Amino acid sequence: MKKKLVSVLLSAAMGASLLAGCGAQEAAETAQDAAETVQEAAETVQETATEVAETAQEAAEEITDYGTGEIKVWVADNVVDFTKGEIDQFMAENPQFAGYTVTVEAVGEGDAAGNMITDVTAGADIYGFAQDQTARLVAAGALEEVAPENVDAIKNDNATGAVVAATVGDTLYAYPMTADNGYFLYYDKSVVTDPSTLEGIIEQCEAAGKNFYMDLTGWYQVAFFFGTGCTLTFDSDNDGNFTGCTMDYDSDKGLVALNEMIELAGSKSFQPGSSAGDAVNYAAIIDGTWDAGTVKDFLGDNYACAKLPTFTGSDGKTYQMSGFNGCKLLGVKPQEDENKLAVCDALAQYLTSEKVQLDRYNAVQWGPSNLKAQSDSAVKADEALSALSEQFAYTIPQGQYPGDYWSNAEALAGDAQTKLQGASEDDVKAALKSFQDTVSALR
Amino acid sequence: MSNASEKKSNSVSTFFSAVGNIFKVIGTTFVNGDWKTKISYLIMGFGQIARGQFLRGGAFLAIEALFIWFVSTFGGKYLSKLGTLGTIETYKKNRKTVYGDNSFLILLFGLLTLFFILFLVICWYLNIKDNAKEEELIKAGKKLPGSKADFLSLFDNNFDKTLLALPVTGVFIFTVLPIVFMICVAFTNYDATHQAPSKLFTWVGFANFKNLFSFASGGFGSTFVSVLIWTLVWALLATFIDYFLGIAVAMLINKKGIRFKKFWRTCLVMTIAVPQFVSLLYVSKMFDNAGIINGTLMKLGIIQSAIPFWTNPTLAKITIVVVNIWIGIPYLMLMATGLLMNIPADLYESASIDGATPWQMFRHITMPYMLFVTGPYLLSSYTGNLNNFNVIYLLTGGGPKSMSYAGGAGGTDLLVTWLYKMTINDTDYKMAAVIGIMVFIVTALIFMNAYNFLPSIKDEEGFQ
Amino acid sequence: MARESSMKRKRAVSNFFGYVALIIITIIWLFPFVGLVLGSFRSYDAAVEYGGIVDYVIPKHFSLDNYRFVLGGETNYLRWYGNTVIIAFFVALFQMIIILCVSYALSRMRFAGRTALMRFWFVLGMFPGFLTMICLYFLLKEMGLTQAGAIKGLILVSVASSGMGYYVCKGYFDTIPKALDEAARIDGASRARVFFEMILPISKPIIIYAALVAFMAPWNDYIFASYIAFGHDASYNVAVSMYRWMNTGDYQGYFTRFCAGGVLVAIPVTLLFMFLQKYYVEGVTGGAVKG
Repeated sequence: MKKKLVSVLLSAAMGASLLAGCGAQEAAETAQDAAETVQEAAETVQETATEVAETAQEAAEEITDYGTGEIKVWVADNVVDFTKGEIDQFMAENPQFAGYTVTVEAVGEGDAAGNMITDVTAGADIYGFAQDQTARLVAAGALEEVAPENVDAIKNDNATGAVVAATVGDTLYAYPMTADNGYFLYYDKSVVTDPSTLEGIIEQCEAAGKNFYMDLTGWYQVAFFFGTGCTLTFDSDNDGNFTGCTMDYDSDKGLVALNEMIELAGSKSFQPGSSAGDAVNYAAIIDGTWDAGTVKDFLGDNYACAKLPTFTGSDGKTYQMSGFNGCKLLGVKPQEDENKLAVCDALAQYLTSEKVQLDRYNAVQWGPSNLKAQSDSAVKADEALSALSEQFAYTIPQGQYPGDYWSNAEALAGDAQTKLQGASEDDVKAALKSFQDTVSALR
Repeated sequence: MSNASEKKSNSVSTFFSAVGNIFKVIGTTFVNGDWKTKISYLIMGFGQIARGQFLRGGAFLAIEALFIWFVSTFGGKYLSKLGTLGTIETYKKNRKTVYGDNSFLILLFGLLTLFFILFLVICWYLNIKDNAKEEELIKAGKKLPGSKADFLSLFDNNFDKTLLALPVTGVFIFTVLPIVFMICVAFTNYDATHQAPSKLFTWVGFANFKNLFSFASGGFGSTFVSVLIWTLVWALLATFIDYFLGIAVAMLINKKGIRFKKFWRTCLVMTIAVPQFVSLLYVSKMFDNAGIINGTLMKLGIIQSAIPFWTNPTLAKITIVVVNIWIGIPYLMLMATGLLMNIPADLYESASIDGATPWQMFRHITMPYMLFVTGPYLLSSYTGNLNNFNVIYLLTGGGPKSMSYAGGAGGTDLLVTWLYKMTINDTDYKMAAVIGIMVFIVTALIFMNAYNFLPSIKDEEGFQ
Repeated sequence: MARESSMKRKRAVSNFFGYVALIIITIIWLFPFVGLVLGSFRSYDAAVEYGGIVDYVIPKHFSLDNYRFVLGGETNYLRWYGNTVIIAFFVALFQMIIILCVSYALSRMRFAGRTALMRFWFVLGMFPGFLTMICLYFLLKEMGLTQAGAIKGLILVSVASSGMGYYVCKGYFDTIPKALDEAARIDGASRARVFFEMILPISKPIIIYAALVAFMAPWNDYIFASYIAFGHDASYNVAVSMYRWMNTGDYQGYFTRFCAGGVLVAIPVTLLFMFLQKYYVEGVTGGAVKG
């Protein structure tokens, strides 16, 4: 018996050492040693560098040695090639950064935030993400503040909504890349003759046996709530933690909005969803510019765009549908090396500059956030973008919302389509109250 | 195993006497042992090497050396911080970020080091026992087995150790360690606002468990109960509906006079062969409001507006169970086909001579036999369905959501999909870990209760 | 005579209904696959047809655009496919070896802690695995087996825990009479010789079953594979990359391309399965009985 156990341990030990010991540990050790030396070196270099910089600041433009390194960039699949081209140009214009190699990977804006949060250290140095993730990323320590020298320029050059979206607390954390994150109405000219009222659109869709698509979840349902004059904002501190909430959904205004949602969801033409790729047989869809190509393919010559319609509420008054306006942002992750951070900042700044934003519009039709780029004639002539900018006049810049807001709002949307159909006014009020109670308590 | 209950009753006293025995061995061996044995208390394997048993002595020594190297270069620094999970905060130096302690890695590698220590203690004890045994053999005037004999025994009497060493180590590092880690997380405040590497997290005791059982607004209590109930119901439906329908289809194909048996089977078996992420994603789009099914029904004028297969909670539950039949029947059909053939044909013959109807034969011959032999399968399939992630996630993603649920749960969420979403979307690891523990407890309770009723499990040796 | 003919008629009627039921079942079961194949021949080129989801099955124009897309150089599809084949192959190989080792030890040898080990592994299986992903990620990262090394990492994780899936194989070994090895042992054969020269040669069905099951699993691995390979396109497997096509807003209208990719994934797995179906049935049947 004894002998058996000894040998099991012997062989187990070999297994263990193979798996846990050697591989893991050596790698870890060497990596760590390397990291430590690099860090020490960097610290000394940087200390001297700052001293030098301080003394030489007034004299002339100092050409700093930025050292060498690798910079990983994540952008959506359809702009990978575009981004590579722009980065090549950036490197050509800035020979002082020649020590850095930049790699671009296709990671969609949705995935980027999740991946960064899983493991910041393995994540990209510069990455594109959708604005609703800003606070979450800041809380996870995955966003570095924008370099102080760039802050004023960014705030002045970009649309207000985009700047708001990149701000947490009172700190600017990201570089606005686009300002086309909003929704408006695409419609089939041959079916919908007057896109100005929701009732009219629905009636014509029903008559033609066509679908009307609109997502009723968190991002879209505010079209009703903000339209009737409700407010919903969260305060956050500089670390991305939520500190307070202003909300008045549990009111007459909120009731009108929710009633309208329930009524809309009750139409036989109504289909939940605002993604043209998943939609069929529609004559109208509330969607964003990213689906312009898909809708154009589907509707062909009958393709048309308009701002969101007005609706007549349960109180008999007419309201203009509102919504969020937002943007895509480019973030830089916190760096352990100040030189690399400087290079990342410069690159992010470049990739969101007026020129690159215009190039990007021309390449993939992403609407710019830069005010000068917005006034470019090609941008102005874009049907979808002009409908969106018309709609933007009625919308509210999207600030930061806790992750649970979105799931609660999705829940409300689910109830509006099922449980609340045909419910009494008291039930609707109760639903509003419980929604407000839950959401306003979120932190 | 047949006397399992007997064993259980005195297992506590057995355990204590075993522990006592261990200390006795350690003590007496030290007192009675020679100097070689005594040195082995410090330098493992010394006694064996001194007595010429180089292989096993060397192995013990190697383990100790490995341990010292591991703890001093890697494990030690994590282990020392395990109590607090780190105290050094991340800070900014100019614009540079200087990372402090990483609570996550401290917990993970601290546990790994603890595992290693446990392993060393066991080896140390065995080393002592082995020394005592050798001394005994020498005293009795017997020859000790040499290194070659030790080595050869690894392929003969100790072949099981050779076979199991790698698999057991693998399971310990890649299954047991992560599970212990997540159990520990349930007692910390690891969530969206306490994420490594930039923030620290720490031990909080039972606070998360209190939150799970809080039924106040915002608490997880009522959601947990409704998700749990659906999980149990789902597993029951998914297991038994598939089971009976699968047997029925198998019997239909096996029926006398039905031709092309192989063809029918092959058609059904396609669902097993085609990867689920392809077929289930396709099926989920089929049932979509805009999918083929709704589209066709509307074109034919059978329905006016789309049937909300996935957006109505009740309908979504039914649809999932139905789609799961589609997935499950082929497996059951294959299994039942093989088993049905094992039922002695004369049983049916004598029954039909007695004038039994097919239904009676099914009830009194087929079903009892099937239930008897497939008992263990049914049980493991039930627990498998409790944690059936793929079907739910690929079909509905757990939706539709409703206000009556907390923590982002939806109408078709099982406990597993719920906790998956909790980690991925909300980074709420502490609550996910708590729910994970609950899933484990529920599964284990069901299993333990059912396990002992199964005739075919009780009598393992009987089958051979 | 009359009774016999009525019996015959009865049987003919019931067979007729049996055939009707079988035909209906077959149509239902095969419909998604037919739909998938037909979808893969619908062009995504806007000038021809639409590549998103539509409410009809048969494409209006037959086209090979999707296959050109997935097999051409536009994406890394071939690379992803290759990755999956590599993962599936090595997982099948190593997992089979480990399962055979564990099953033999547990079926044939009696040692201290045997039942305890079996029970312990059994209990472990009840813990929801998804929770441990983040933990595995950092373990693998420490070994350099994430992102660029994700393929090796995936193989390692799949193989490392595979010992726990011994049930079916052990059940099979249990049915081989113990008298066989005892006779050989009396003749002086070691345990290892019995294993390699007696048990393995007569275990072909179960070896193939174990390998087949292990080979099929990696094609489905979306969750964990995407978790440890993130941000590194070149180490994705087909499931990860194609799941994006269906569920990420950046890939509107990729439905038909998904269908084409799905067909290409399904072909080898289905063929392999069809060829080895006999062994699979034996495995499933035997495994069910022993649990």
